[in-house]
Amino acid sequence: MAKARPIKGLNPHAPTGQNARIIAKVRLEELYSWKKYIDNPYRVRELHNLRIAAKRLRYTFEVFEEVLPEASRPIVKELEQIQEELGAIHDSDVMIAMLRLCLGSQDSGTISDTAKRKEKPLVQPELVNDLLEPSVAPTAEERYGLESLLRRQEQLREEQYNAFRQHWYQLQVRDFRREILNILNT
Amino acid sequence: MQDQYSPMRAAIDIGSNTIHIVVARSTPDNLDIVEDQVEMVRIGESVNATREISQQKRDDAIATLNKYKALAEQHGAEQIFVVATEAIRQATNSSEFLQAIQRETGLEVQIISGSAEAVLTFFGATYEVNREPNSPSQVGVMDLGGGSLELITAKNMQITWRTSVPIGSGWLHDRYLPSNPPTYEEVAVADTFLQTYLQNMSIKRFPPVLIVTGGSANSLLRLVQRAFHLDMSGNRLTRDDLVRAIGLMSALPAEEIAQRYEQPLDRARILPAGALIIQKVMTRLRLEEIQVSEHGIREGVLLAYARYGDRWLETVNESADQAEQGKGTKASAPMASPKEETFAQSGRRMLLERTKKMLDWCDEVLKHEDVEAVHKMRVASRRLRATLDAYESCCDPKVFKKFYREVKEAADNLGAARDTDVMLQNLHAQMEQMPDEDRPGVQWLIERLKDYRQERQEALEQFLHSLDEDALKEQAASCIPKGVAANGKG
Repeated sequence: MAKARPIKGLNPHAPTGQNARIIAKVRLEELYSWKKYIDNPYRVRELHNLRIAAKRLRYTFEVFEEVLPEASRPIVKELEQIQEELGAIHDSDVMIAMLRLCLGSQDSGTISDTAKRKEKPLVQPELVNDLLEPSVAPTAEERYGLESLLRRQEQLREEQYNAFRQHWYQLQVRDFRREILNILNT
Repeated sequence: MQDQYSPMRAAIDIGSNTIHIVVARSTPDNLDIVEDQVEMVRIGESVNATREISQQKRDDAIATLNKYKALAEQHGAEQIFVVATEAIRQATNSSEFLQAIQRETGLEVQIISGSAEAVLTFFGATYEVNREPNSPSQVGVMDLGGGSLELITAKNMQITWRTSVPIGSGWLHDRYLPSNPPTYEEVAVADTFLQTYLQNMSIKRFPPVLIVTGGSANSLLRLVQRAFHLDMSGNRLTRDDLVRAIGLMSALPAEEIAQRYEQPLDRARILPAGALIIQKVMTRLRLEEIQVSEHGIREGVLLAYARYGDRWLETVNESADQAEQGKGTKASAPMASPKEETFAQSGRRMLLERTKKMLDWCDEVLKHEDVEAVHKMRVASRRLRATLDAYESCCDPKVFKKFYREVKEAADNLGAARDTDVMLQNLHAQMEQMPDEDRPGVQWLIERLKDYRQERQEALEQFLHSLDEDALKEQAASCIPKGVAANGKG
């Protein structure tokens, strides 16, 4: 994901709390800018970006904990949960990409296809080299185990995605975004 | 000596470091102290760490208060006053704490404001000076506690200005000087922090005489007298004394300081922080020496009661308000507390703190014994990056760019190692639930990841060995320049 969006309108001589609220609002908008991808479980990169945005908002609340209202604490807990759910999905995506790579699938999200889009690959190039080293190629027996692991991981990923999506919509029902804005406006 | 019919009273002060009792016969202008005891309970340690008074600290405090109550009663004290200061003001569970004290000791505790604390300390610290024939017309009093510092100036014994700052010896120790003895780097960072903080303090009057009270100041005086063979009856500390004392305490562990110079160990641990604060305040007030007083808030409570009766606290609060109103608005504005800092001030403080926190993990990561060290250092690097992202518009662009690049490189190296650790943990967990025929495949992947993890460790170690920690701290300290205005990017 790109570097965090620079914040406009900050005043170095104003109280920290006043500036912290401006920063948190920008980070909140960043989070919700990825909302449109939530219903598509295969927008792997966009879901990852949503996770980074949630992390940035959470860290903003934590960095400025001393000057933001006490009511922010439950918000931080929710953000932490979102981040963990999306983190688990991302870990599964990396593992799936890696297993597909080991098994020779084309759709692995590794260097060749991501290089064209100038994105950071899901599997690090150095790891790709280690996995594809001919001298340690998996035997037929090992490939069997890797295929089984891939199926398990895909199933786990689906469960993780469903859990996250359910949580996300629970937050929408209670208007989580408005809740955060109300806290920031006090 | 007081008239034997002067009433005997006791005053107890629950501070961030200590719980202290004084029992004395008291009149409006004098005290005849018959008992003076102190216990290091360090409630502030728990509050600094979790914002709460822990069960252990609560139990220790109650045990001490029960002991003091018995002591006061032995001396026939008619009344026992108990006041609490910064750590209790800050604790999120202070109400429960006070209720527990009332329930288990029968003592009622008053949480007093920073303003009232300053006035009471002033009463206590100056009553002996007032009795001297040539008492100074202008005087300053500093009460250095574990969690806060009170500074008061007075002319003809009328308070002209006061401020309360939530920086104390325990606080500075916990945040900046945790090693035993403190490292050179820790002292340098604490020194920079204090200098930056105190520079922002506008002082209306520079007192020619400063009386310093509180446990750290008194312990420091005794240490200096013993270590440098000075007159044990003196009450003065010079700037040179402090420099030498800081040098000594940076060279010897607290255990040795405690043993050699007869200090309680808990006090010896936080003494370098106390010395550093006093030294920096002296520099800011342009003083070459200070006087140390054993008396403070407790004696102030006894004097206030003798002067004003049952309405002593209301009267003290009114005096504090008058002192507040007497000061100008801008010229005498007190220095900012962390909650009142400007954005630029908090940025300077946080960038230094977070850089140091990240670097604190270097040694553990290099040991390569516990995978959690990599995780902790990575989290610290993320928090530092989040702080940098927030303050980018206040930063010098050149310094920011260099600083950010280094922190990002650290985070990337740590991330590659940590992500592999997590994958390995997940694979091990999954393998336990897999049928035997699937395991060779998982084992194959684990072996590949272990090789890759070793490569990442080597890259990480190479990076950490090449990292110039002092340069990074310097970048953190100078990233937000003085007199900053939000730059064009912001």
